[in-house]
Amino acid sequence: MTTLDTEIVVIGSGAGGAVTAATLARAGRDVTVLEEGPWVDPDALEPFSLAEMVAKYRHQGGSAALGAPPVAYAEGRCIGGSTEINSGLWHRLPAELAEEWRRRHTIAEFTPTVLDAYADRVEQDLSVAKVPGEPPLSSTILERGAAALDWRSVEFARVFRYDRDQRGTKQTMARTLIPRAVESGATILPDCRVDRLVRKGDRIVGVRCTRRREDGTDEDLTVRAEQVFVCGGAIQTPALLQRSGIRANIGSGLKLHPTIRVAARFPHPIDHADVPMHRITEFGPALEIGGSASRRSHVALALSDSTADYGDAMSDWKNVSIYYAATHDGVGRVTTLPGLRSPLVTYRLTEADMSRLARGLLLLGEALMAAGATELYPSITGAPVVRRRDDLVQWWESVNRSRSNLMTVHMTSSVRIGEDRTRTGADSFGRVWGLANLRVNDASLLPDAPGVNPQSTIMTIALRNADHFLAHA
Amino acid sequence: MLWFERQLVATMVSHLGHDERARVASYVEGSLGAMPEHIRLGVGAESLVLGAWARLPGALGGALHDGSGVSLRALETNPLNPVRQYARLMRSLVLIAEHELQPGAGG
Repeated sequence: MTTLDTEIVVIGSGAGGAVTAATLARAGRDVTVLEEGPWVDPDALEPFSLAEMVAKYRHQGGSAALGAPPVAYAEGRCIGGSTEINSGLWHRLPAELAEEWRRRHTIAEFTPTVLDAYADRVEQDLSVAKVPGEPPLSSTILERGAAALDWRSVEFARVFRYDRDQRGTKQTMARTLIPRAVESGATILPDCRVDRLVRKGDRIVGVRCTRRREDGTDEDLTVRAEQVFVCGGAIQTPALLQRSGIRANIGSGLKLHPTIRVAARFPHPIDHADVPMHRITEFGPALEIGGSASRRSHVALALSDSTADYGDAMSDWKNVSIYYAATHDGVGRVTTLPGLRSPLVTYRLTEADMSRLARGLLLLGEALMAAGATELYPSITGAPVVRRRDDLVQWWESVNRSRSNLMTVHMTSSVRIGEDRTRTGADSFGRVWGLANLRVNDASLLPDAPGVNPQSTIMTIALRNADHFLAHA
Repeated sequence: MLWFERQLVATMVSHLGHDERARVASYVEGSLGAMPEHIRLGVGAESLVLGAWARLPGALGGALHDGSGVSLRALETNPLNPVRQYARLMRSLVLIAEHELQPGAGG
């Protein structure tokens, strides 16, 4: 058993953990970051490739929230967390949503003005930019479809830095805030799984871990710390708290962006190197229409989901791209199971939620047809392939609990901040109720799913909370 | 991998060369092993039940396994949702590996 002493331990190195570590280390605090996954050179692997899934995704991408229908999800498990595997789209929390969250959950110092000031700082730190020049065709297809229907669409910025040749590099945490935290004196320990927090009275006095050594063997490690920040994301954070006996409002209220997809075939080739940055926002925030990574394997998967014969479309896969409609409906739960390492994740969608997904699928189909698609394969088992706009209505009946294949990459709200102790797991700044030195600072804190990519919101709130800690702790 | 899982994967990759088949099977095995334990338990239980069904004599077992391989179609069109989900999962793992292992997978 090895024991380490540090002033502040940060568990997790993703969007929340990296902001926390960098901010506290820059302020001269003694910070140690524990990350369950490995360090992976951000330049070593092709984005969205099989090698990346194996190296950087938890469970190699094979996780699902159980329910009717189940929702497949993906989490990063490496230095940098999910910022290493996402598309890097950047969307500030809309002011009206911030205001609604502040009122509904009684969150202190949560006005749009306050949050915008923190978002400014995060954006200056990371580099947030739109694609220089013309966005790729896979993206402008959404703009074209929306324009034909007189719907609103927006080209979103991304956490990307572009060089003089307009080559973009995603500014993941492994490239940005983690190295900056190290420059400021932070210690980063990869391959270090936190098994549980050690509690004494109203304080956490240590963190019990299993660390994988370079020779592949494991060692037990205890980290003693004065302050503990848990930043493992909306699934792993509540699981760790529950394993440590902390359960009040922890794990309930999980929110996802359930997403239903369509593989759209066009009469011309589509680029596949990038993720579309346009989104159709006409129906937001309840419903967002966008595009996703469309490598050859993704296209095969999406085409096969309808279970129609897709051989001809697959032989033409360079003309196929994948789009989606996402809602923020439903509610779920993260529950640890005795003897098992992985928590049970469940998610429940009501009939009304399923209807909104069906509506989203039809609107998505309409936009793609208006943009010139010739064939649409929905991610619904047994649903018909649509080749004419008038046939889209056939999908309405197809979207049901037993045949819809849903997925998500956005998980939030499994702890939630606010001053109402009966409904939240942590106070307005992420301090877990009843524990003087334990804070959560990641996607778990969001009071609700934002309906758009949450990375900006997670980082903004994390910076706000880190600043509050420095000012008051 | 359990017997039925190996049979199913073998059927789905029968059009590939020996080395590719081995690589796809290796990836599927790794993915199943990497799943959350409770999901792997559920998938394993289904594999055992389907394996027992496939080994039934006569038409009953033949509906699922005709001697030359497993009928993916029979699984995908099964009235039971968990069986269809099982088929989708296995098909997805095979498709990811098969297409990612080909040159130019990123487009």
